[in-house]
Amino acid sequence: MRRVTVRGLLARKLRLALTALAIVLGVTFVSGTLVLGDTLNRTFDDLIGTAYQHVSFQIRGKAAFGNNNATAVNSTADRKPIPESIAAAVRRVPGVAYAFGSVGGYAQFMARDGSAIGKGGTSTLGFSFDPNPQLSPYRLLQGRAPTAAEDVVMDKATAAKYHFAVGERVLVDLPDRPQTFTISGLVTFGSDNNLAGVTLAGFDPPTAQALFNSRGYYNTISVLAAPGADTVKLQRAIAAILPAGAEVVSGQTVASELSTAVNNGLSFISTALLIFALVSLFVGGFTIFNTFSITVGQRTRELALLRLVGASRRQVFRSVVGEAAVTGLIASLVGLGLGILAALGLKALLKAFGIALPSAPLVFEARTAVVAIAVGVGVALLSALIPARRAVRIPPVAALVEQSEVETVLVRRRQVIAGIAMVLVGVVAFVAGLTKPDIVLVGVGALAILVARGLLLPLVARPLSSALGRPLARLLGTPGQLGRENATRNPRRTAQTATALMIGLSLVSTIAVLGASLSSSAKNSVDSALSADYIVSGKGGFSKSVVADVSRLPGVTTTTVVYQGRFEVRGSLSTLVAASPAELSRTVTLHTTAGTGAPAMAAGELLVDTNTADADHLHIGSTVPVKFAQTGPTTMRIGGIFKANPLLGSYLTGDGFFLSHFDNPLPIAVLLSRAPGDHGLDGALGRALKPYANVSFKTRAQFEASQQASVNQLLGLVYVLLALAILIALIGIVNALMLSVFERTHEIGLLRAVGMKRRQVRAMIRSESVIIALFGAVVGLVIGTLVGVALASSLRNKGVTNVAVPLPSLIGFLVLSALLGLGAATWPARRAANLDVLAAVAAE
Amino acid sequence: MTAPRVPHTLPAMLTNSLEAAMALTSKRSDGPAARALDLIKTYGTGEVEVRALDGVSVEFERGRFTAVMGPSGSGKSTLMHCMAGLDAPSSGSAFVGDDEIGRLDDAGLTELRRDRIGFVFQSFNLVPTLSAAENITLPADLAGETVEREWFDALVVQLGIAERLSHRPGELSGGQQQRVACARALIGRPELIFADEPTGNLDSNASAEVLEFLRRAANEHGQSIAMVTHDPLAAAYADRVLFLADGKVVGELSSPSADAVLAHVRRLGG
Repeated sequence: MRRVTVRGLLARKLRLALTALAIVLGVTFVSGTLVLGDTLNRTFDDLIGTAYQHVSFQIRGKAAFGNNNATAVNSTADRKPIPESIAAAVRRVPGVAYAFGSVGGYAQFMARDGSAIGKGGTSTLGFSFDPNPQLSPYRLLQGRAPTAAEDVVMDKATAAKYHFAVGERVLVDLPDRPQTFTISGLVTFGSDNNLAGVTLAGFDPPTAQALFNSRGYYNTISVLAAPGADTVKLQRAIAAILPAGAEVVSGQTVASELSTAVNNGLSFISTALLIFALVSLFVGGFTIFNTFSITVGQRTRELALLRLVGASRRQVFRSVVGEAAVTGLIASLVGLGLGILAALGLKALLKAFGIALPSAPLVFEARTAVVAIAVGVGVALLSALIPARRAVRIPPVAALVEQSEVETVLVRRRQVIAGIAMVLVGVVAFVAGLTKPDIVLVGVGALAILVARGLLLPLVARPLSSALGRPLARLLGTPGQLGRENATRNPRRTAQTATALMIGLSLVSTIAVLGASLSSSAKNSVDSALSADYIVSGKGGFSKSVVADVSRLPGVTTTTVVYQGRFEVRGSLSTLVAASPAELSRTVTLHTTAGTGAPAMAAGELLVDTNTADADHLHIGSTVPVKFAQTGPTTMRIGGIFKANPLLGSYLTGDGFFLSHFDNPLPIAVLLSRAPGDHGLDGALGRALKPYANVSFKTRAQFEASQQASVNQLLGLVYVLLALAILIALIGIVNALMLSVFERTHEIGLLRAVGMKRRQVRAMIRSESVIIALFGAVVGLVIGTLVGVALASSLRNKGVTNVAVPLPSLIGFLVLSALLGLGAATWPARRAANLDVLAAVAAE
Repeated sequence: MTAPRVPHTLPAMLTNSLEAAMALTSKRSDGPAARALDLIKTYGTGEVEVRALDGVSVEFERGRFTAVMGPSGSGKSTLMHCMAGLDAPSSGSAFVGDDEIGRLDDAGLTELRRDRIGFVFQSFNLVPTLSAAENITLPADLAGETVEREWFDALVVQLGIAERLSHRPGELSGGQQQRVACARALIGRPELIFADEPTGNLDSNASAEVLEFLRRAANEHGQSIAMVTHDPLAAAYADRVLFLADGKVVGELSSPSADAVLAHVRRLGG
């Protein structure tokens, strides 16, 4: 019986190759994601290892929020700075060989043409350069350490890429204002030319303290223990001299905290990619299921013959499942190999959509191979189970009777009612699960929709395909009509073949509806929250001098400075947005439902949005406990409740209060209004912002557009990732068509014999393909749009105020599906057209 | 057993319209409907070479019903395939009317089959997704032409399938299916109908219906027919029977009776 399996595999090489391709692509995606994830983790772990290689201890402010949770660890803004004097005291502790206090902050190099180097925000690092190499991860490669206030050291990568040399001048944008420095030396991070793509600007420590507004303080103090010192005793000795609010931890602790935080951040990317990989595999599973179903159908006589000559049910079952297992295994191995290429491709893709990741040699863990093979073989086995069960039910007598391919599907009222009920249950559970979020509910919903598909799709396949095929039949005449008949002759097969595409397109259209709703809501929230004429913003925070430079421009009537920082409110970490309350109504529209807006902000009171107020039962006059990293716990009085708007966040206060609780925060935006009728501000603003390469201004319309563009960019990334699932679905159509052509050899031969031209044969197969694709697309788009609308409506509280159905996009997807169907038919059509007529009619 | 007689059961009006239609057909040139000249067809080479056709020259006269008989492997099907443009001979030439089919490319052959030849195969004659009526008009539909309504109606009445036109092949009996195939073969008034064992899968009643119809088509409409068969009873319906053995024409009978055909077969076999 094993020989039968093997022979069976060999006899159907082509078909299996196509089936396997679906698994190959899915496994490629999975293993590529794993390789990429491992590579990124390894890269950052290595970097962190380098940074803390020699650090015995680090002294730092205690984490202000939560129980030292990993995400809070990385941010120095969430820890109190350490007074300078501590460093001197620590140096005197016996067993301490060396201690260095460091500060860091925003320092953006400017290229010679005045543009910002790097992507702004977190891709730049300014720090105090430690000339003593014992602790420092930075290695001076060329020149000398910064010693004077105008000195800076630059990372080698930036210097090489932007042609800077030691001794040359460079403009650096800093928290207060841009300044020109002299490059005193070039540095590397360990042996790397920069820190994972982050530009490095190192200053003389006192200069750094001044630039980053930390005069008299350090962010952290790194300690090197003397050789042979008892580290436990030493740590205790250091802890003894620290003030309350500061702590001493080992270098390894810091490194592992950091690496946990980074890995958590990266795992988001991996998880997102894995979800798309699983979607691909899921769709691939349907392709395999369909192929095996058709082959079992076609092999009815062969399998019955095996049973007739004495094969047991178990042997037939094993034969079918064995075929699937071998296919799955081979496909997984190929996919695993291609996964390495996929990792590079995914990285390039993320980069293309603005998520830059450091470059490093790829890391291939044994776990990747295990997961990839398990998933690939598992999907293949699962998909073959139902066809295998069908195979064992074939009675031996089937070997002796003719069978007809044309199948009729009886419409049963119960089936229809059950199907529709399942759709409703599915959509409700799916949406409820996603909004909660509750993964079990999502799963139940998806399962219900799938079951409903199984119940309903074969029933609608004939009428719907027939209707979709009508224009084709009219356009192409008899070949079109025949294609239409072929697409409807076996509704169950048509439904199965179209399912993969249906799933792909329902995801695409869900995302499209969600994206359009987000985009439209973004516009809406800008319209209803901003009245400013100009929005000045950067990538992250920017120099405070920007505020002064733009506010003094003639024609600017109101300047509102916006800050943002983390604080703990009623025990949970949240974001506090602050704005200058003066003439606030000219730049920001606050729809207060209770209390006041600007006056409450000016009074240092807390404003909450309606959602938060409702959820937490907050009223005007209630006081809530809050906690700030720098100043500790206090209480705030609720001074106003405003209509929720995602642009404003949930918590607002005045800038006066904010600045007294945050250490030198950087503004994140400046909102400007101009005198009525004054239109000449664009040029003046452009000139004023010229020195700040990473700061730009937008009119309200431009700001709206940019908010929408960022939604669309994300949408684009999702589409690209879903494209693989669509591709696999197409392979399924190719496969099913090839099988149909094979199955209808006689019929095509007959058609050719009575005068069908090759061109007409091709047109017939293409019509069938296009109809199947359109059928899958129409059902998918309808389901996807329903789910999308339901999802978008359920996110009303989360800022999705508008539900929009992007009709042009959906029609575009439909047209694209038809074209893809046309493409999928190319090979089967050619094969059908080139059938040997004589062999086809003579093969009895 | 005697040669079957043509029954005269059609209403006179119908016959008249058929004759009128026939007048159109008779404009064609006078030579044979198809002929083969020294056809040789070999499969394989060297030791394993098989000569399916070994220098066959035949003519299928216009307006006549010719049967080609022979045992399995005698080359009768190969002869028909070569003459219908379904297969290419190794050497020699085949003509439909005055056109040598060896000179036609695939498109030319396809049009030849569509417009000038009718086919009735042993089985799998009909497209399962099309109704009987659609199957009949299939060649015309493929050519983008319409069939003559009167001719169509006359044919389906004569074949007794008028009531079954909207049915799909799966819903028809074997005999009905073959009669639909006959209608399809005749609808375009081809120069020649090739029938390859048309009754091979039918019981004797259904066989008789199909054969009588072919006989009448030749008699009443002057339809040229070439039929491959191994059944002496079927061959007896023909005007003329050609006997093939080992790729060669080995005998011929005119206006045969079944007994004469059988006797001839026995003689060849012995």
